[in-house]
Amino acid sequence: MNPNTTWQKLTRNLWVRIAFGVAVGVVLIVLPLTQSKSINLQLSMMAVFAVAILGLNIVMGYAGQVSLGQSAFLGLGAYIAAYGVAEGWPIPVIFILCAVVPAIIGLLVALAAARLRGLALAMVTIALPIIGIPLAKRLREYTGGAQGTTVSWLKAPDWVDGILENDQWRYYVVLLIAVVMFLLARNLVNGRIGRAFRIVKENEAVAIAMGISPYRYKVLAFTIASLYGGVAGFMYLGIVQYTSPETLSFHTSINLVAAMVIGGAGSILGTIFAAIYFVLVPRLANEIDPSLTALISGTVLLAVLFLVPGGIVSVPRRIGQVVRAVRRRIGPPPPTNPPYPPASVAPGAESTEKKNERKRQGQ
Amino acid sequence: MAYFIQLIIEGLATGSIYGALALAIVLVNRATGLINFAQGGMAVLSTFIAYALFNAGAPLAVAVLGAVVFAFVLGAVLERVIVRPFERGDPDTAVVVTIGLFVLLGGLAAFLFGYEPQQFPSFFGAEALDLGGVFVSVRSLGTIVVLIVVVVLLQLLFRATKVGLAMRAVADNPQSASLSGLPVSRLLMFGWGLASVLGAIAGVLVAPQLFVSPGMLDFVLVYALAAAILGGLDSPLGAVVAAWFIGVVENLAAAYIDVIGNDLKIAVPFLIMIVVLIVRPQGLFGRKVVVRV
Repeated sequence: MNPNTTWQKLTRNLWVRIAFGVAVGVVLIVLPLTQSKSINLQLSMMAVFAVAILGLNIVMGYAGQVSLGQSAFLGLGAYIAAYGVAEGWPIPVIFILCAVVPAIIGLLVALAAARLRGLALAMVTIALPIIGIPLAKRLREYTGGAQGTTVSWLKAPDWVDGILENDQWRYYVVLLIAVVMFLLARNLVNGRIGRAFRIVKENEAVAIAMGISPYRYKVLAFTIASLYGGVAGFMYLGIVQYTSPETLSFHTSINLVAAMVIGGAGSILGTIFAAIYFVLVPRLANEIDPSLTALISGTVLLAVLFLVPGGIVSVPRRIGQVVRAVRRRIGPPPPTNPPYPPASVAPGAESTEKKNERKRQGQ
Repeated sequence: MAYFIQLIIEGLATGSIYGALALAIVLVNRATGLINFAQGGMAVLSTFIAYALFNAGAPLAVAVLGAVVFAFVLGAVLERVIVRPFERGDPDTAVVVTIGLFVLLGGLAAFLFGYEPQQFPSFFGAEALDLGGVFVSVRSLGTIVVLIVVVVLLQLLFRATKVGLAMRAVADNPQSASLSGLPVSRLLMFGWGLASVLGAIAGVLVAPQLFVSPGMLDFVLVYALAAAILGGLDSPLGAVVAAWFIGVVENLAAAYIDVIGNDLKIAVPFLIMIVVLIVRPQGLFGRKVVVRV
């Protein structure tokens, strides 16, 4: 009668999963029809930032490379979209450019940056938003300078006239893109490349021994993250219809990283929690007191790192752990044998401590 | 020519401010193997303490001293309470912890003092000296002198005192140091306190120019990180030299290369950093780390 295993059994049942998926799908489709414009805007923003955070999660959560430059790719995508709209390019072309151009820039940056040991990569990536902002202000004829650019596009087409408002149409567009991007990411991280990412994160020497080039996979992870950032930029412009150098802000990058960790690094589901957190919590904090926003996000991030290092997505598992630990301490040991043999360290396995030590030195 | 020399001295002065914060980053990295993104936030909070003391009527020297003491305690306490549990853990998590601290301290400063930039007086006044046609502000010279004094004091601390020796031992090999009976825990706290004091010095030095606000050191932190990496992350001297180099080069580039100008000069140190790191991934003065599997 262990509640934990019942819960696990339930979540692993295929039919339960399908039913849950269908329910979520129905809610996501019906929700915008019933809600106000401002709620729809927030839902759409969650989809936008879910894609941006998903990219960050691939490079950071799966491949283990700290990136503080995601906002630069978000901004780049938004600017490309804004320029394309102003020039009257067809939307599919704009979309492809928003994905490909940031990916190429990310590839070029990563080719240089992935050579660096350990955290130096994080610091090179900081440079992207820091340099991007003055650059965006400088290239006035393309970006509109410090004021930014306003566009009007992605309106509800004629055939849904009278059925869907603009905000609802835009919501469905970004939702569709987000769902596709999530499916692609899920296949990626569950496949050969995802396994390679995890080995590179875990131990680069082992990766080399297995014939996996850490350099190549770091570059790949960073390129994919940039592509996701660019696509998120496209979606951002679709929803907000405006972009300015503020979109690239270094603080956005920091907040994206914070949200990703709070949601759950290395987890697709965690990314969704992260996006909800990213959009919702600053808004709630703002309601209480605008000057409290940063204080609250910092506190939440540190609290998560101390209490549930796996992020929100690991809360059920963490509760199980704590409950078991408390039970072991206060009550008599459970009479039945545990279903699995206790995990023991294999004789050849190195300790986590040693592994972290090596990682710290940049191997 | 006079203008050229002026540019170099101004560059050295801004470089000195980056250098103080870069030194703090290097100290923490040597002691605990972490890169502390919160170094700037800690410095900002300490600078606000100086600002608050000064506004409460304390003389400037006392206000700065108060900030230094506060910074030391803040650094030591943060190391012990927040960073310690993550020190020997996964370094990526530890970085996120310092990012969390960065957000938290910035938020705290904003909550206590608001976002409005506040004026702060300078130790050195606003006059300029005429050195044979070269006009140099006393503030620039003072900033450079302060950094040189700090570097000399640090060298003395590390080379000529028992505490310094013990700190080097802990940086070199915490386990052996602990087995030889050194109070590793207290030494780590001391190291963080010291780094935090360096940050406070940078904050107080730059405050008259940038005004005191929660985001005042964001850019300085970025430059300091670049300097620390360029210098090799474990070399204090390297960090200072790199910081001066960055300060001078960006000043000259802004003045003489039209495309760069004042707004894009921040790109210069990063381009240099990336080029250097591609050629020498361990930085200009860093040791090459060879790790056994």
